[in-house]
Amino acid sequence: MSEATALRTPLVESQIQAAAARPPGDEPAWLAQARSENLAAFTAGGLPDTRIEAWKYTALRALGQRRIGPVDVDAALRATVDSTGFVLPGVDGPRLVFVDGVFRADLSTAQDVAGLQVMPLSRALREQPESLRFALSRHYRERADAFAQLNAALGFDGVVVRVAPGAKLSSPLHMVFAGGTQAEAGSHLRVVVDVGAEAAVDVVEHHVAVGEASHLATLVTDIAVHDDARLGWLIVQDAGVAATLVRRTRAQLGARASATVHALELGGALVRHDLACDLAGQGAHLETRGVFVIGRRQHVDTQLSIRHGGRDTTSDALWRGVADGRARGVFRGAIVVAEGADGSDAALSNKNLLLSADAEIDTKPELEIYADEVKAAHGATIGQLDERALFYLRSRGIGLAQARSLLTLAFCRVALADISDERLREHLGELLDKRLPRMADA
Amino acid sequence: MTPETLSPVRDNAEVEAALNRRYEAGFVTDIESVSLPPGLSEDIVRQLSALKNEPEWMTDWRLAAYRHWLTMPTPDWAKLKIDPIDYQALSYYSAPKAGLKSLDEVDPKLLETYEKLGVPLHERARLAGVAVDAVFDSVSVGTTFRKELAEAGVIFCSMSEAIREHGDLVRQYLGSVVPTGDNYFAALNSAVFSDGSFVFIPKGVRCPMELSTYFRINAINTGQFERTLIICEDDAYVSYLEGCTAPMRDENQLHAAVVELVALERAQIKYSTVQNWYPGDENGVGGIYNFVTKRGDCRGADSKISWTQVETGSAITWKYPSCILRGDRSVGEFYSVALTHHHQQADTGTKMIHIGKQTKSKIVSKGISAGRGQNSYRGLVKIEKGADGARNYTQCDSLLIGKRCGAHTFPYMEVKNPTAIVEHEATTSKISDDQMFYCRSRGIGEEDAVSLIVDGFCKQVFRELPMEFAVEAKKLLEVSLEGAVG
Repeated sequence: MSEATALRTPLVESQIQAAAARPPGDEPAWLAQARSENLAAFTAGGLPDTRIEAWKYTALRALGQRRIGPVDVDAALRATVDSTGFVLPGVDGPRLVFVDGVFRADLSTAQDVAGLQVMPLSRALREQPESLRFALSRHYRERADAFAQLNAALGFDGVVVRVAPGAKLSSPLHMVFAGGTQAEAGSHLRVVVDVGAEAAVDVVEHHVAVGEASHLATLVTDIAVHDDARLGWLIVQDAGVAATLVRRTRAQLGARASATVHALELGGALVRHDLACDLAGQGAHLETRGVFVIGRRQHVDTQLSIRHGGRDTTSDALWRGVADGRARGVFRGAIVVAEGADGSDAALSNKNLLLSADAEIDTKPELEIYADEVKAAHGATIGQLDERALFYLRSRGIGLAQARSLLTLAFCRVALADISDERLREHLGELLDKRLPRMADA
Repeated sequence: MTPETLSPVRDNAEVEAALNRRYEAGFVTDIESVSLPPGLSEDIVRQLSALKNEPEWMTDWRLAAYRHWLTMPTPDWAKLKIDPIDYQALSYYSAPKAGLKSLDEVDPKLLETYEKLGVPLHERARLAGVAVDAVFDSVSVGTTFRKELAEAGVIFCSMSEAIREHGDLVRQYLGSVVPTGDNYFAALNSAVFSDGSFVFIPKGVRCPMELSTYFRINAINTGQFERTLIICEDDAYVSYLEGCTAPMRDENQLHAAVVELVALERAQIKYSTVQNWYPGDENGVGGIYNFVTKRGDCRGADSKISWTQVETGSAITWKYPSCILRGDRSVGEFYSVALTHHHQQADTGTKMIHIGKQTKSKIVSKGISAGRGQNSYRGLVKIEKGADGARNYTQCDSLLIGKRCGAHTFPYMEVKNPTAIVEHEATTSKISDDQMFYCRSRGIGEEDAVSLIVDGFCKQVFRELPMEFAVEAKKLLEVSLEGAVG
C-alpha cells in the first residue's frame, strides 16, 4: 500500500464526497479557488499522525476510520431546540445560534447596537464578499493544519463581527454553537472578528449539546484587534459526550491593544483547540485563562501559542487542568519572543491535577526567545492537592471529601477569577463544580 | 548617574582582542597515524573489527547495527541547523602508528599533547590522584593507575581491551541501555565505534579514585565514535569524569559517542563531563558536530545516577543524558551548564523515565547564549503508570547576552500516575543593568562583573562537579564568554 492510499482513510474519502456533493453556490471565484486548493491539500495530506509534533499527544486514528457526511440542512432547520438552555447570566447582547452548523434565525436575537455589525457569514458573503477576501482565501499548507483545510474547503457559514472604531459595547455578543442532532455529520464554521481602533467588545463563544449524536465540528476564528482596542473573549465549551470538536483561533493585536481570553473546556469526546495570539503592535497586552475538567474517556488538547512581535508587549497565561476517569488532558503553551521585541514580559503558569490512576496529563510549556531585553518565565506542575491545605481544612472540622472538593474547585476557579461580571462568574463556577467528580470520604 | 551611562562600550579594542582569542586546545599533533580509507560500507565495518582483533559476535553486532542504520532517516526534530553530513567522506578509524604495550611506549609527542592539555598521563599523574584513560582519535593510548585499581577489583580499561579480555561482561551489558537501533547516531556509533572506556565496579566496592577519560580528536577528516560502558554492581560507587578537545580545523568534524551506565542495587554512578570540543571560529566555520547518546539505567532498587555536564565547545551539540529509573526508590539527577557563543548551536537536555515506585529526579539546567548562539533545553519527564509516589523537580534558566542570540525551552511532561508530582520552572533573562551597576559601582571591571554574575548563575551546577573539574569549568566559561559583553 503506498503512502498516498494509506492517507485516504474513510474520513478523508467521506470528506471528498461531501465536497463533491456541495451544491454549487454563486460564490466569488477566489473563494471557490481557496476551497479547491485547501481540499486538494487535505486530500494529499490526510489527517496528521502523532509523528507530527503538534499532534504528538492526540491520535486521530479512530477518527480517520469514521465516515462523516454533510449536515442535512433542512433537518437542522427543523430540529426542535430549547433555546433557554443557552442563556448565560449577564450575556445579553445580540445572539446568533447555529444548530449543527446551520444558522437558526428563529433562535437568534438581533439587536441594533450602535457601532456593531454582526451577521451570519453567508449573508456577509452575499452583501460584501470583498471585505472577507483576506480572511477566507487563506491556503493552509501544513499537514498539521488538516482541520483548517477541511474547514476552508467545506465551511459555508459562520459569523462576521465588525466593531466600528471607538465604539464601546456594554453587552457581550453571544455566539451559540449547538451540536448533536445529526449522527456522523460534519459542520464547519468560520468566525471573522474585526475590532476597530479604540473600540471595546466582549464576545462569548458557547458550545452546547442539543443531542447525544456523535459528530465532527470545526470552527476557525480570525480576530483582529486594532490599535488601542479591547477584546474580551470567553469560551464555554460544553459540547456533547460524543462530539469531536476542533477549533482554531488566531488573534492579532495592534499597538496598545489588549485582549483577555477565558476558556472553559468541559464537554466533548475529542476536543482540540489551537489558540494563537500575535502581539504585533507595540505595547499590546494579552491575558489568557483556561481550565479543563474532564473525565470518562474524554481527550482535551489545548495548544496555546503566543508570539511577542512588538516592543514592550506583555502576556500572562494561567491554565489549569483536572483529569479523572480514563481522560487525557494535553496542554502546550508556547511563548515566542521575536527578534527586536525588546521589553517583552511573558509569564505562563500551567497546573494540573491528576485524579485517577487511568487518567493522563501531558504538558509542554515552551519558550523561544530571540531578544535579550525580556522577562520570560513559565511554570508547570502535575500532581495532587496540597496536603497542607487539606490538613488545614480538616483541622477546622471539614471532612476529607468536602475539603478535597473545595480545594479542587478553588484550584479551577482561579481561571475565572478576573471575569468582571459576578453573576456570570458564579454561573461558570457552578458549571465547573457540577463537572468535578464527587469525592468519596476515603 | 543612570545605569545607561555605565553601559558597556561596544567597540572596545580590548574586548575585540579577547573575542578573537584563539581556542587554546586548537593545536594539531604531528604524528604518524594509521587510518582506514574514507567511506562507510559493510567492508569498512568488517575491516575495523578485524583491525581490532574482535571476536565474531562483536563483528556481527556491528554489522547488524550498520544494516539498521541504513534504514533510518536523519533526525530533524531538534532545533538545530545542520548542513548535510557526507558519511562517505569521513574516515572511521585513525590511530597513532605503532602498537602500544604500556604507557612507557607511548610516543613522546602524544604524551606532550596531553601535557599541553593539562591531562596527567605519566608520573605526574600520581600526584593528581585521578586514573585517566586517554583516547586519541580512534584508540585509547593509555590508562593510568591500572595496578592500584586492579587491587580494588575495579576494571578500568579501554573498550577494545575489554572486548578482548572481559568479553562476557561486555557482551552481557553492551547495548542493553542504548540498543543498537535506538537512534540514528547511536546506530552509527554501534557500527563503527573504535574505542572508549570500560569500567566495572564489583559488588560493594567504592572506587578508590576518580576515573577519567580524555578524548582528543586529532586527525583530519575523521569522525570519533567512542563507546563508554560503566557497570556498578550492588552497593558499588564510582565517580567518572570526561573531557574533550580537538584541533582547530575549517571542516566540521563528527563526534558521535554512546555512553551506557548500569547501576544495580544501591549502586551510585556520578558522571561528569566538561565538553570543550572545538566550537568553530567566530564566523561559524568549522567545529565539531557533537551528537551523543548518553543513558543510565537505574536497574536496582535505591540506585542513583547523576549526570553533570558543562558544555562550552562544539559547533553543534545534540545530547540528552537520560536516566531510566527502573528500580524502586532510584534517583536520577541532571545538572547542566550549556554555553553557546558566536554561531554555536546546542539542543541539549535530559530524559527522566520514572518506572519504579518512589523514584525521584532532579533537573537543573542553565543555558547561556551569547553572540549568535542558539541554546535549547529539551527535556522529557515521563511518569509511567506504576511509578507510585514519583517526584520530579525541574529548573531551567536561560541567560541571554546580546541581541542576536536565542534561548529556548522545550520541556515535555507526561504523567500517568495520580500520586506523582512533577514540577517545572523556567526563566529567561539577561544580565540586568542593576546587577552590572552594583558590581561596577564597587569597582569591579565590566568583564569581571559579567564573569562573576555568570559564575553565580551556574553555581548550582558547578558545585556538583568534582573539584578539579569545577575549576576547569569556571575557567572555560570565562574564556568562552570573553568578548561576549561589550
